[in-house]
Amino acid sequence: MAWDLLLWIISFFVSLALVASVFYQVICLTDLEADYLNPFETSTRINRLVIPEFILQGSLCLLFLFTWHWVFFLVALPVTVYHAMLYNERRYLIDVTEVFRTISFEKKLRFTKLGFYIFLFIMVVFRLTLSAVYSFTEDDDLLHLF
Amino acid sequence: MGTENNKGYPKFPARPAPSSSPYASAPPPGIPPPSGGPPTGSDAVGFRPFPPSASQPIRPFTPSGPPPAPQVGAMRPAQPSPFVSQIPGSRPPPPSSNSFPSTAYGPPPPPPPPPGAAPFQRFPSPPFPTTQNPPPQGPPQTLAGHFSPPMSLRPQQQPMAPVTMGPPPQSTTSGLPGANASPSPADFNMAARPGFQQSMPPVTPSYPGVGGSQPSFPGYPSKQVSQPPPMPFQSSQGPPGPPPVSSYPPHTGGFAQRPNIVAQQNLHPSYAPPTSNVQGLVEDFNSLSLASIPGSMEPGLDHRSFPRPLDGDVEPNSFAEMYPMNCHSRYLRLTTSAIPNSQSLASRWHLPLGAVVCPLAETPEGEEVPLIDFGSTGIIRCRRCRTYVNPYVTFTDSGRKWRCNICSMLNDVPGEYFSHLDANGRRMDMDQRPELTKGSVEIIAPTEYMVRPPMPPIYFFLIDVSISATKSGMLEVVAQTIKSCLDNLPGYPRTQIGFITYDSTLHFYNMKSSLSQPQMMVVTDLDDIFLPLPDDLLVNLSESRTVVEAFLDSLPMMFQDNVNVESAFGPALRAAFMVMNQLGGKLLIFQNSLPSLGAGRLKLRGDDPRVYGTDKEYALRVAEDPFYKQMAADCTKFQIGINVYAFSDKYTDIASLGTLAKYTGGQVYYYPGFQSSVHGDKLRHELARDLTRETAWEAVMRIRCGKGIRFTSYHGNFMLRSTDLLALPAVDCDKAYAMQLSLEETLLTTQTVYFQVALLYTASCGERRIRVHTSVAPVVADLGEMYRQADTGSIVSLYARLAIEKSMSAKLDDARNAIQQKIVKALKEYRNLHAVQHRLGSRLIYPETLKFLPLYGLAIIKSTPLQGGPADASLDERCAAGFTMMALPVKKLLKLLYPNLIRVDEWLLKPSADHDDLRDVSNRLPLAAESLDSRGLYIYDDGFRLVLWFGRMLSPDIAKNLLGNDFAAELSRVTFQEQGNGMSKKLMSLVKKLRENDPSYHPMCFLVRQGEQPREGFLLLRHLIEDQMGGSSGYVDWILQLQRQIQQN
Repeated sequence: MAWDLLLWIISFFVSLALVASVFYQVICLTDLEADYLNPFETSTRINRLVIPEFILQGSLCLLFLFTWHWVFFLVALPVTVYHAMLYNERRYLIDVTEVFRTISFEKKLRFTKLGFYIFLFIMVVFRLTLSAVYSFTEDDDLLHLF
Repeated sequence: MGTENNKGYPKFPARPAPSSSPYASAPPPGIPPPSGGPPTGSDAVGFRPFPPSASQPIRPFTPSGPPPAPQVGAMRPAQPSPFVSQIPGSRPPPPSSNSFPSTAYGPPPPPPPPPGAAPFQRFPSPPFPTTQNPPPQGPPQTLAGHFSPPMSLRPQQQPMAPVTMGPPPQSTTSGLPGANASPSPADFNMAARPGFQQSMPPVTPSYPGVGGSQPSFPGYPSKQVSQPPPMPFQSSQGPPGPPPVSSYPPHTGGFAQRPNIVAQQNLHPSYAPPTSNVQGLVEDFNSLSLASIPGSMEPGLDHRSFPRPLDGDVEPNSFAEMYPMNCHSRYLRLTTSAIPNSQSLASRWHLPLGAVVCPLAETPEGEEVPLIDFGSTGIIRCRRCRTYVNPYVTFTDSGRKWRCNICSMLNDVPGEYFSHLDANGRRMDMDQRPELTKGSVEIIAPTEYMVRPPMPPIYFFLIDVSISATKSGMLEVVAQTIKSCLDNLPGYPRTQIGFITYDSTLHFYNMKSSLSQPQMMVVTDLDDIFLPLPDDLLVNLSESRTVVEAFLDSLPMMFQDNVNVESAFGPALRAAFMVMNQLGGKLLIFQNSLPSLGAGRLKLRGDDPRVYGTDKEYALRVAEDPFYKQMAADCTKFQIGINVYAFSDKYTDIASLGTLAKYTGGQVYYYPGFQSSVHGDKLRHELARDLTRETAWEAVMRIRCGKGIRFTSYHGNFMLRSTDLLALPAVDCDKAYAMQLSLEETLLTTQTVYFQVALLYTASCGERRIRVHTSVAPVVADLGEMYRQADTGSIVSLYARLAIEKSMSAKLDDARNAIQQKIVKALKEYRNLHAVQHRLGSRLIYPETLKFLPLYGLAIIKSTPLQGGPADASLDERCAAGFTMMALPVKKLLKLLYPNLIRVDEWLLKPSADHDDLRDVSNRLPLAAESLDSRGLYIYDDGFRLVLWFGRMLSPDIAKNLLGNDFAAELSRVTFQEQGNGMSKKLMSLVKKLRENDPSYHPMCFLVRQGEQPREGFLLLRHLIEDQMGGSSGYVDWILQLQRQIQQN
């Protein structure tokens, strides 16, 4: 049971990090639009985060697979696949020279991802509390409460 | 009256322009006698003269027609409507036309002098067409031929006479549909015609508001007010129609058919060509009669009558005249000078909505942009929208406040800038203030506009010295040219200069002024670039002049025996960046081979033709390595502008190298297979121009426009620094930028929209300046009006840029189709606009202003970046041409798209003392093989190349005179040089003149003889865009294709 709790704690932090990172990227993009940031700054800030985000998300997905959490795995899978595709086509970085041409797409993409990560985060929090309660009460009967 | 009309204007937005354009065009012809007489200004006087004039010509008609004429004089002024009733009666028989026109004509007299004049002038031409046109009708009548334009005297009636008698059938080669041959076309015709005229007067006044004082004519306003009914009409027949209708309501029914005929008359192809400009302006649209069955060509289809821009780029000037304070069209050209008032209207306008801006366009002598120094006052700008003060701001509150024309904000006038207003509300000091009278001004910017002290002009050279550079002679030419330009570099004595050369290693040069010879330092570590010296790599030219000269003298010798084939381009670029990033400046890169070492090394690609036609095709045309985009962005950030000179005959990946130029506001010069003996002159000239032309440093450009519209996309060589700020590290007169705008609000409530281009830059002299161009365009509610005010030049310019951009993300085919689809959509919309009232049959109709659009569309599709498949142009050529076209100003682009073809042999043979008399050779020929006569000598000039085509049967004398003893040899080996005879001198002077026409590039001369394959095909035939070539269609096919697609629903 402790392993399970550990899993959810890890997932909790990972998904929290994902949410934070995407949220930060969205903020950068809106700042760029509002002319608070220049494109050079924006693209360095965002591009710095892209690869870590991909890695985190990918490993979370794998983690779910290896721990046999099918539902979570399937939920995380589409984004992983999409990231892999972007990476293969080398389109994952913000193109500083053409930011303004792609900004609306990039923003939409990040908003979607943000929603998705938040959804994942909520699910993880739910499972986390559940498994925390289990592990602390050590009482299987609690399961019937749900 | 003027103002009054202005108020009316928004209500009938459709009207003004049409008339305006004719009006604008009309005056020049000179005032014909009749107009001189009658229009005296007062109505009474105006009337009197007329009746006589009317009756005079009418006399001949009287036999056939009822006596309306006299009435006309009497009645018209008082009550037009009674008239109407009469007309129906008189109508039925053709003769009635007499009466009708006369009545219709009646109105013109009342208008005050100026408008009066216009209609008259107009007449000569319109009547002409009419008579010629009505082919359907048949009464054989050759009269038409006789009464050509010359009838300036009461042209109105005279034309009528012949018409009534029976319009000449002549000229109907194109086979107009017989369907419209109604019995009385003539009569309709006439009726309509007067209508046009009549419409004019009221219209003109509405515009004059801008022009200034205009006597008011009673009666007119009311007519205008009564106009609403015509609205439906308007769309169909266009502005000219409505006025008559409204003034004689009953006629409307009768009129219904008229447009039809009028239109059809115009359809005549023979009117399409540029020769009939005036006519086109009066009419609603032009058209080409095409075969009724798509695909099959009727024998009558005469492609010679298709419109061709043989007069070059014709700028729409009606607005320049209407708004004399607008900046010149060389700086700013809108795609249409009528801005749609609603989003729905804008979406029906399928052409691009935008502008082409060339902020530093070269000005002819005497028209220099005035330089203004506001001194301690500070620059006068709107507090809210930051608009610069311009001729369209209004001063109120006895001069203490001014209202921003863009955002209508009331601003205070600073004390030092205060001036009293005169009775008209104009500032007293108006004449001393160019910023209040001129659309283009240059303002000296105070320190608030600087983030650092203005930079000096900096030229940094990055020169490839590998084996191919020395072998081809490039190194020598470059060194010589730079040396010869040292005196002319702008910005003496602040100019700075520096060099890096590279092959597989980097060579830095210490040019410290205390040295007598430059010191060379070699860096071999390409992975971790460092600068061997902290400074002295970039030195002040005036201080280190001797060192620099010594370096340039020795440069070719130094690397004479270099056998290194590698090219460490990426590291060299990084090193140059490190040297320059303190100050910025211009970086000139001379690259001879594919970058092969270090960061940014590139692979051979594009040699696999199978990639073409697949979805990956586009990848060949964009930078392969992100290194290039990143470097370009960094350079822009540090105000470094890059110009790329590429010389290799092998693949150099211009797509990647050009990226550097694209995002730093530079340009790409490409000399495939450079040989100093062949291309030396071209390189010398173009490099010298690049070094010596006036350059604006560390510039940013922004275009502001009125509320409700917004510029959304920008196209050209630059980088966007924020959503609407173009960063241009180094910009000069040869660069233009295109932008598209969109409506943000569903409905624009203003009557006009203002545009203001502001370029903030550092001049070479070290002054920070702002160049401001202001322009205004009316807002309209009518689609037809937008078409009438369209500007083919800037539309084509935008289209070309869009197509090239599209080719960077899609297949060539897709890019070409996209252009075709856009043109089809636009013409389809235009057709729908007129289809209701006119039976258009199988004609292709288009507005006069867009008559060249289809041809230019074809030219874009056949231009180097977009043409054919892999075999038609090498990848590098395509990309280089693409980068070049992205920066070209409108006129140069149009010349490149539809080059000049002129015949010169006859001119050469003509004994004329004056060699400079080039007028005779200035008539351009259509770009088709059939223009080429094998007995002739032709020059093809697209601004980048001159091709001399020797016909097979060209008299040997000429060839001998021009080519000397080599005349029989294969022309590819012959060098074109002056021979010691008059004819050759004459030709050389012509070539020189052609080159001087446009100094931005140096067209190289190619000689080719007819039948000399494959050179002939490659140099000339391939560029005869009206011919069918390989898989691409010719002009006729293209038009048929368009027509077919337009007719599909």
